[in-house]
This record gives sequence, C-alpha cells and structure tokens, in this order.
Amino acid sequence: MIELSRRHLLAAAGAGGLLALTGCGPSQDKATGPGLVPRRGGRLRLGIVDGDRSGNLDAHKPVGLGSTIRGFALYAKLWEWSPVMTPDLALAEFAEVNDDATLWTIRLKPGLEFHNGKSITADDVIFSIRRLTDPQLASPYGSLVNQIDRDNLQRLDGRTVRIPVRDGQGFIALPDTWTNFGGIVPADYHPVTNPVGAGPYKLKNPGDYVPGQRALFTRFENYFKDGKPYADELEIIEFKDQTSRIAALLSGQIDLANALLPEQVGLIKPGSGARVLVSQTNGWQSFDMNTSVAPFDDVRVRQAFRLLVDRQDLVDRALLGQGRIANDLYSPHDPTFDRSIPQRTYDPAAARRLLDEAGHGVLKVELVASPAAASAALVFAEQAKKAGVEITVRKVDNPTFTGPQRLDWGFSSGGAMGSGMLGLSWIPTGLHTDAPTSAGNKTHFRDPEFARLFTAALAQPDLEKRKALVHAAQRIQHERGGMIIWGFSNTLDGISDRVGGAEAENSHFPTWRFDKLWV
Amino acid sequence: MTSQPFTRRGLLIGEDLEGRVALTVPSWLPWLLRRLLVGVATVFAITIIVFAATQALPSDPARVILGPEATEQAVAVLRGQLGLDRPLPVQYAHWLGDALRFDFGRSLDSDVEAVSIVRDRFGNSLVLMLLVLAVTIPLSLLLGVALAVRRDGRLDRVAMAGLILFKALPGFILAIGLILIFATNILPVLPAVSLLDPSRSPLAQPAYLVLPTVTLVLSILPFLVRLVRAGVIEVLEADYVAAARLRGLSERRLLWRHAVPNALVPTVQGIAMTARVLLGGAVIVEVVFSYPGLGSALNSAIEMRDIPVIQAITLLQAGLVVLVNLLADIVTVLLTPRLRTAARPTLKPGSRAAWKLSGGGT
Repeated sequence: MIELSRRHLLAAAGAGGLLALTGCGPSQDKATGPGLVPRRGGRLRLGIVDGDRSGNLDAHKPVGLGSTIRGFALYAKLWEWSPVMTPDLALAEFAEVNDDATLWTIRLKPGLEFHNGKSITADDVIFSIRRLTDPQLASPYGSLVNQIDRDNLQRLDGRTVRIPVRDGQGFIALPDTWTNFGGIVPADYHPVTNPVGAGPYKLKNPGDYVPGQRALFTRFENYFKDGKPYADELEIIEFKDQTSRIAALLSGQIDLANALLPEQVGLIKPGSGARVLVSQTNGWQSFDMNTSVAPFDDVRVRQAFRLLVDRQDLVDRALLGQGRIANDLYSPHDPTFDRSIPQRTYDPAAARRLLDEAGHGVLKVELVASPAAASAALVFAEQAKKAGVEITVRKVDNPTFTGPQRLDWGFSSGGAMGSGMLGLSWIPTGLHTDAPTSAGNKTHFRDPEFARLFTAALAQPDLEKRKALVHAAQRIQHERGGMIIWGFSNTLDGISDRVGGAEAENSHFPTWRFDKLWV
Repeated sequence: MTSQPFTRRGLLIGEDLEGRVALTVPSWLPWLLRRLLVGVATVFAITIIVFAATQALPSDPARVILGPEATEQAVAVLRGQLGLDRPLPVQYAHWLGDALRFDFGRSLDSDVEAVSIVRDRFGNSLVLMLLVLAVTIPLSLLLGVALAVRRDGRLDRVAMAGLILFKALPGFILAIGLILIFATNILPVLPAVSLLDPSRSPLAQPAYLVLPTVTLVLSILPFLVRLVRAGVIEVLEADYVAAARLRGLSERRLLWRHAVPNALVPTVQGIAMTARVLLGGAVIVEVVFSYPGLGSALNSAIEMRDIPVIQAITLLQAGLVVLVNLLADIVTVLLTPRLRTAARPTLKPGSRAAWKLSGGGT
C-alpha cells in the first residue's frame, strides 16, 4: 500500500516537475550514448532490485535474480546467450550431440584462463558440472541438467569432455539448460572464500562483496574475448526500492538500472541524463490452472477460462502497453514453434456456453496471485465477471506463493518473469513448467500423448523431425493445457547517457552484458 | 519545594526519606539491580517469542532460499543441512547456546555470518541515530523553551501549526520531497540515495548522511518540541514558580534554573522513545535512501525467512530497548528528587506514559 502510493507520488511529482520543462514523453530506443567507439576505464555501476533477497556469489546456486546477475560478471560458461536467446559457443569451441541425443562431446577453446591465472581444462568442466548436480549442494538449478550421467563423465583430452545422458535417454536441451547456471570454476572453488571464475570481471578481495549492499568487481585482463571488458571496475548495487533506484539513475549515482517497472518509464525523459531501452522478450505472463482439481479437471472449464481473457486489455492495463499478447503457448521464438495455430480471442459468450455444458451456473474461483501479478489478476477478475465467473483475487507474499503450497494452488498467477526460464526455447521452458519431468508443474498437466511427444522431441537433434513432434505437442497444449498464457512483457532498462554499448535485444540481458558495455 | 539539600544527601550518603541509612550506596541502587534483572529476563522471554514467531511464519526457509524451481529432494537436503528437521525445542536450545557465544549462525540468504551483517548494519544505524539525536535534542530544547515563553503569541501559533504539519506528513513523502528538492530536480547538490561505501566509516562519507538525517530530524522534531514546550509551560504555571517569581527571581533564572530542569523529565522519556524507534531502524528512510541500516535488514530477513539474521537483529534490538529504557529511567530518577531519594522508586514501565503526559516530575 505504502509502496504503491509512494510510487504514484514520485510519478506525479516527476511528471509535474520534469514534464513542465520538457513537455515530451519518455525517450526510447535511441542509438548508444557516448559515441560508438568503446572507451576503456572508469567504473560501470548497475543498480538492481531483487525484492528483499541479498543472495550470494555462487556460480551454481545463485539464489535469486541478483545472484544470477552477479554470476554473469564473475563466471564464463561454455555457451552464452545471443541477442535472440539462442545459446552461442563461448568457452567451448565445439559442442556436438550424437544422433539419438544420448552423448555430448564438448571441446574448450585453447589457452583459456581463470581469474587466478590457472588454465581452464577438461577437468574443470567436469568439476563444474558435478558441482552443479551435486545433491549436497542442493542447487535449485541442478535438476535442469539432471539427465546427464554425472558419474560417467569422460575426459577425452586436456580440452575435451564427453557427457553421456542417463539411462540412454535423449537430451538435446543441454546448452539451453546449462548456460544460465553453468559457470566453469576451478576445483578449489568456494563461493564465499574463493569465488574464482573466468567471467569478464573478478572479485579482488572477498570484502568487495557486501550482501544486500553491493559487489565491486575489477576487470579481468585475460578475459577470453580480446580487448574486453572496457571498464576498470564494475559495481553492482542493490536497492530495496524501485523509486530510489530511479532517483539514483537520474542523479548520476548509477549508470544502469535493469528491468524497470512500466509505470516508472515516464520518469525517464529526454534531457534527464538517461533513456529507456525497450527489449521485446519472450518472458510470458500466465494464470495457471491446476488440472488435477475441480473445476479445472474439466477441459471445458479450462477452454472457457482461456476465452475469458481479454489479452490486449491485460497488456494495456497490467503491463501499461509494454508487451504483446500471447496465445497460451510459450517460446514463440523457437524455430520449432507452430505459427499456424490460430490466436485465441476474448469471447465471453462462447466461454459461457462451455461453462453451461460443464454444469457450472455461477462459478466462483479463487485466484492466488504473487505481488508482481496482483494487478493483472484484478484486471482478469473484472473481465471474467462478464461471463458470470466470480474470481476472488488473493494476493500473498512471495515466500508464501513459492512456498510448500506452490504446486497445490487451484488457480494461480504464473510466468517466466524474474525466473531462470525467462525467454528460453520451447523444450527447456517445458522442462521448467508442464513437461513430464518438470519440478515446477503447477498445472499438473499429465497428458500421456503430450508426454510421449515431449520425450521424443527431447531426443531428436534433427530440427525438421523435431518440428513435427513439437507442433503436435503444442496443439495439445493449446487445446487442453492448463496455462492461460496471455502476454509477453518487454524488458525496460534505464541506461544513463554516459553508457555505451547497450542495445535492445529479444532478451532481458542488455544490462547484463558486462563485456560489451562501457562508460 | 525545597528539595536541593535533600538531593545531595540522597545521592552521596544514601539516606532515604524515612531516614534509614542505606550504607554508602545510593538508595536507588537495589531498584537499579532489580531493573537489570527484569531486563535480562525480558530479553530471554523475547528470544522465545522471536524463535516461536519465526517458526510460525508461513513457508519454510529452505524453500524460500532455493525458490520455486528447486526439487523437493534439493529442499529436503538443505533443510537437513540447516537443521530445520530437528524438533523445535532442540533447535531452540542449539540456537540459544550459540547465541550466548554470539554465534548466530550463517545467513540463510547470503551464506555469510549473520553477526557480520548485523554488525555493519548496526554501526550504520547507530551513526544515523546519534546524528539525529545530536541535532534534535538541542534544537527541540531551544525551540520548545522559546515557544513556551511566547505561549499563544503569533510565533508560537505559526510554529505549532508548522510542527503539526510536519508531524502529519508521512516519512516517505518528506524523504521524496527532499530528494526532489536537493538531489534530482530543483537544487541537485546532494546524492539522492545513500550508497555508502561499506569499506569506510559512514562518518567519512558525510554527504550520504545529510538527507536521511534531515528527514528523521524533521519527522521527530515536532514530537519533542511539543513535549518540551508543554513541560515548560506546566512548570511555569506551578505554584512554586509563582512563589519564586514573587520573591523577585529574574525570569531568566526562573526559566533555566527551575523550569527547564523540571521539564526535562518527560523530555528524557520522549528522547528514549525516539531512540528506541531509531534503533528499531528507520525503515522508511532506509528504504527510500537505500541507507543500509538495521530496519531494512530486518525487514528483508523476515521477508526471506532468514531466521539467523531475524534472531540476531531482534535480540540486539530487544537488548538495546531494555538498555535505553534503563538509561532513561536512571536519568529520570536522578533528575527527580522525590524518586532519587526513595528506597523504592515507583517508576515502572507502565508509569512512563503517565510521566510523559504529566509534563513534569515535581
């Protein structure tokens, strides 16, 4: 309550103060600021907000968003995300999977080095993936690559590793699932006392990281990309409040503010010393129906609810226009995505018919919403009322929302925002959500045909053959799945005019590319 | 009331009102020891309440740490590593045992010593609190006395209206207003947020302290000024002041020698209350200015179910509140002749509000 009114106050004050001076809307999407030639030196300062979490520096157990962002500075991986969210080779010079996707062969680039000067070898790759999947580490991301046979990793030579998949199953999603949390670290690695990696920046002293306040990194001179990074130092500063982060950006105390709230974009205006960089991502927003409990165990109710969503209205009001509508399917950027599936539209009359068929006169449902999704939930409740569906929105705090009950909510908000699956391809996203092996299947979707198609796609390296499998699986998701995926939100980054190298992408990474940004 | 001679006797040779000689210790010493014991018992009771409360919070810390994407196995492993699968009394006993050795365990959120987080944050909060008090106490005394002397005059009326306005303003509006004025929009001379360099003392970075201090001073000042003003007015109306006036004492002497010292008693309790609030952390100021203090650390720890940090901070705060109360009561007793010389000063926590309201201790 207080936060909301504070935000509105600053918005009003900013609008009153700044708008009078400029009389213009926000500046967006200009070319990079201080010339196009990278400049060396200086300190690049990024302000982040990660709720109330302080987090850590762990390469393989980076709890929360802030930890993941710091990991992008400290650690290099075998792959890195391209601007369109495909895994491109980074430390690896070669990665190949066999015909039934049961065996990966990966070779490191020559002459790679860690922050401490030690060369990176096949043993470090093996150590790193064994650490990520170590049950005693209890990394939330270990399960993403759980399919690999961690006890039978093979070192072919100093730079080459062979990674078999368990039980002879296929797993083509290794690059996608390993990249975010696959920092390569040496065997004497320790996340608190010895956080050594091969990323663009290193931690000079353990005391340079103060949880909940800031992390100060120094340039890694032997980074594997020649001449990069540009700044001498990188400082990642933690804020508890979005409004004060904007104030810091506008007053020049930070250079970058990632993932701004849509309602704050208006505060950053031409002449204010900063701009807003808009990136269209595939980070979706959804309402998840638990298909194992009434009324959502009836496919007609699920279909009706998907017709009750006025998607454009949600994008306009909940995302303030900063996004685009979705069609109950994730990962539209995946080359296997079936674009021939027609877009579902808002149709309360058809929804009413389906609900009547299912025997629901007046239907009352509780929608459990995380704090971030509360406004979207309220907008949806209003839309559904027109078809006689009464949705009560129950807003709960994040620990409760993601707590022990998280898989048992009957109807809850969902999505990829702020999670490790933001913008991933179709198969890895499924592994996070409604695939047979998913640890976070809030919809309890257990369609045998879908499970068969998904498993087959996971073992099919050939794109054309996989496309047919994925298309069939997406038809099932679209027809009887449990997720109402209504929109994709834009990533809005605040970039100071002092910063160069920041470009819009189809990802949420423009402010995380510490190797290509300069001040 | 001619209490001055009594005062000194009571203090020096420890004789109480009934004339019993209490050896050479001041007569209020037994009271003080009792208060100390009660304080320790209070802190102990608070540890149980804190422990029970953290257990009662919905969700479980292991799940909060690992997030919604972690498997049940991973959560179970972490729960075991954190000792969360042991019976509650065992967990409590372990925790208390460690706490007595100042070992509060590692933060569940960031995996560093909880004590080190609390120490840094406490240092920052303490600096802020002392600065605020150093500005507020003299200022409120001067303003309060000045207004009391000019009671119902134009200056008094205008000042009181202004103070009520500041009191009514929520802290965050004040803070954001100051940011807009002094940091971003109108006269950008100060940093908008207090991004303290953790490797240096906050005192070495004074620019970051200005706006948080001003915000807190402005939000606390109205309360203390009104307290001083009411106290002085009440004393100035007392019979003994009238008598002194009739005997020809100068107004100046009357005010500073008689009225102000007596008006200090409720003020001391008011200052103690302010200090308790500030020690709890001025959460709004910490959030708006990103000032790394104790309040926002506790807030985050609760939100993250970071039990070691919650327990370390609440225990510290409980201890400090007990200490501040004790100090305030001691000062009150020393300032009040009737209490100072009594064998059993009847100043109890419940009577503190009454003291404050009465506006005098005479």
